[in-house]
Amino acid sequence: MKGRIFDKARLSEFIDDLIKKRKIYAPINKDGLTCFSEIKSSSEIYFDFQSKLSSKEILFPRCETLFTYKRVDGDVKLEEIKVKDEESVLFGVPPCEARGFILIDKAFSSGEFQDVYYLRRRENTIIIGKSCQYPRNTCFCTSVGGSPFGREGVDLLLHDLGEKYLLELVSKKGEKLIDYIQKYENATETDIKMVQRIEKVAKESMKTRLELKNIEEKLDNMFEDPLWKIIYQKCVGCGVCTYLCPTCYCFDVVNEQITPSEGKRIRIWDSCQFPLFTLQGSGENPRPTGKERMRQRMMHKFNYYPKNYDDIACVGCGRCIRECPVNLDIREVLKKIMAQ
Amino acid sequence: MLNPYIPNLTVIKKITQENDLNDIKTFKLAFNNPSKFRDFKYRCGQFAELSLFGVGECPIGIASSPSDNFLEFTVKKVGMVTTALHNCEEGEIIGVRGPYGNGWPSERLESHDIFILGGGFAFTTLRSLIKYILHEENRAKFSKLCVIYGARDPGELLYKYDLRTWATRDDIQVIPTIDRASNGWVGRVGFPNQIIKEVASDTENSLAIICGPPIMIRFTIPILVKLGFPPKNILTSLEMRMKCGIGTCGRCNIGNKFVCKDGPVFSYKELQNMPKEH
Ligand SMILES: Cc1cc2nc3c(=O)[nH]c(=O)nc-3n(C[C@H](O)[C@H](O)[C@H](O)COP(=O)(O)OP(=O)(O)OC[C@H]3O[C@@H](n4cnc5c(N)ncnc54)[C@H](O)[C@@H]3O)c2cc1C
Ligand code: SF4
Ligand code: SF4
Ligand code: FES
Repeated sequence: MKGRIFDKARLSEFIDDLIKKRKIYAPINKDGLTCFSEIKSSSEIYFDFQSKLSSKEILFPRCETLFTYKRVDGDVKLEEIKVKDEESVLFGVPPCEARGFILIDKAFSSGEFQDVYYLRRRENTIIIGKSCQYPRNTCFCTSVGGSPFGREGVDLLLHDLGEKYLLELVSKKGEKLIDYIQKYENATETDIKMVQRIEKVAKESMKTRLELKNIEEKLDNMFEDPLWKIIYQKCVGCGVCTYLCPTCYCFDVVNEQITPSEGKRIRIWDSCQFPLFTLQGSGENPRPTGKERMRQRMMHKFNYYPKNYDDIACVGCGRCIRECPVNLDIREVLKKIMAQ
Repeated sequence: MLNPYIPNLTVIKKITQENDLNDIKTFKLAFNNPSKFRDFKYRCGQFAELSLFGVGECPIGIASSPSDNFLEFTVKKVGMVTTALHNCEEGEIIGVRGPYGNGWPSERLESHDIFILGGGFAFTTLRSLIKYILHEENRAKFSKLCVIYGARDPGELLYKYDLRTWATRDDIQVIPTIDRASNGWVGRVGFPNQIIKEVASDTENSLAIICGPPIMIRFTIPILVKLGFPPKNILTSLEMRMKCGIGTCGRCNIGNKFVCKDGPVFSYKELQNMPKEH
């Protein structure tokens, strides 16, 4: 492990230095809503255990314009809205969300066509993670291949050592920030040992431990299982579980007319929990009730996505558990699946 | 990196009314930028996203043949985008992005006798394939070609102009058929899945391609199996609601397959191994 160590008070200096040269996104508290947003000063940073809205929306915005069109004398002019080539830093990302980006990467880059909007932002953004010393009881990252101190997907990782912060250099990309951290002291053997100690404690404190081995194979035989009919009953189909999820990436493509002769094509987040998601013009709908839609969500995360990309598409952040209005708990669903 | 979401601009060169109900029209398009058309290399059975500025996009199978030097789509008026397209006039500009999807498996087609069963307006990419096979540069590569095409009544058959030309050739057997007897109709009456029983031959070594309303497909597949077509040789093209057309928006999956990028063409054998959600 390589890293720098500094007094907590100096974090603001580090951030404000970065702000002079780059765009910085960090967790903030906007009238009570914790989310990630661009900041202009380190004083805006708000460390909560985990923000209500994940950092996903910084690289994959809730709504973004793909191009604009304009009609002029019977002709049409299109203008692609290009993601600006500007170096950015996404600061304070929990390790589970950082892993979420790796999962979205696969979906947006592995086919014949590439999602240029997301990928350009991804390429230009350095991710500074923040390790989770005190996982909550809804967290289950270690059950799905992650860790509260996971390095997957982060370029640098900030550890809270009480009086000080240790900023660990994780990836090659992270070294691009070397100029900003050179002035801080190198972390010593003792500092590193301390990180390892709190890492161990954090991992051991994880309350939820799910045994999900072979879940993909289990689900192979469960498409027609009566389970779906039972678990969907209390779901109200609000879609919150998918909107807040740091690994859900489904979107809709729509038009917005500004004047009769100009407008834009935009894409917005969408949810497999909505009936319109699959409703066809002919009136046919392959997923007519909540049963099929709940099944799709679970199957996508724990069977279809793993089949295509070799990884479970849930990072165990627990948002869908905490925010579901009817307390539908994905951990309970997973236990039921594993008990089949 | 190429941006797959930006459509090519095309101008509507010609609009052909296809049926008596006048809810199906064929649109012939020309690219504003001819070099973009040269890059738009497509196979029979692929589709494209048609783009109406201010309205939206919709996936439509390509109805022209790669051997044609233009692009054609046949569209039924059902909702927002398709209605807006039907309201267009010749000379208007619309967007096209694609081609997308796998298309009909041309190598496999070349080595087999082919039986095509079409029903209703889902004949569009079949027409592309037939035109391609019949093209003078291609015909010799293929073997026997038999087409059974059914519609509710004579006025609802698409591509009547093509059907007439095909009927004059001896290297294709074309059997148009209608559901119920109708005044002035001298052709066959009955469903394609009945007529295939009379004309199918050497089924173990032949391919059956079937496109039509879901109900027709459900009834026809068991008949084809019974006639001896191997499940891997029974091909169909699926429809799902789509947005991106390129496998990113997460909308059109059946199990772990995306209809837009792994399909829309699937064999019955593949469908047997997929969840029943289509
Ligand atoms: C691979 C493929 C090939 C197709 N080929 C043809 C063709 O050759 N000719 C033809 O007339 N129709 C074809 N369709 C169906 C056509 O895409 C729909 O009829 C069309 O999308 C309806 O759009 P709308 O906006 O007019 O209807 P609306 O009901 O207003 O639809 C709103 C939205 O729903 C989506 N949608 C609705 N129905 C479908 C559907 N069945 N499939 C996909 N998306 C849908 C569209 O994306 C549209 O933006 C094809 C569909 C697919 C998937
Ligand atoms: S499914 Fe739930 S727990 Fe898993 S990543 Fe998404 S929001 Fe978090
Ligand atoms: S958050 Fe809860 S109620 Fe809302 S769609 Fe998800 S499971 Fe259903
Ligand atoms: S249409 Fe978007 S994934 Fe198939």
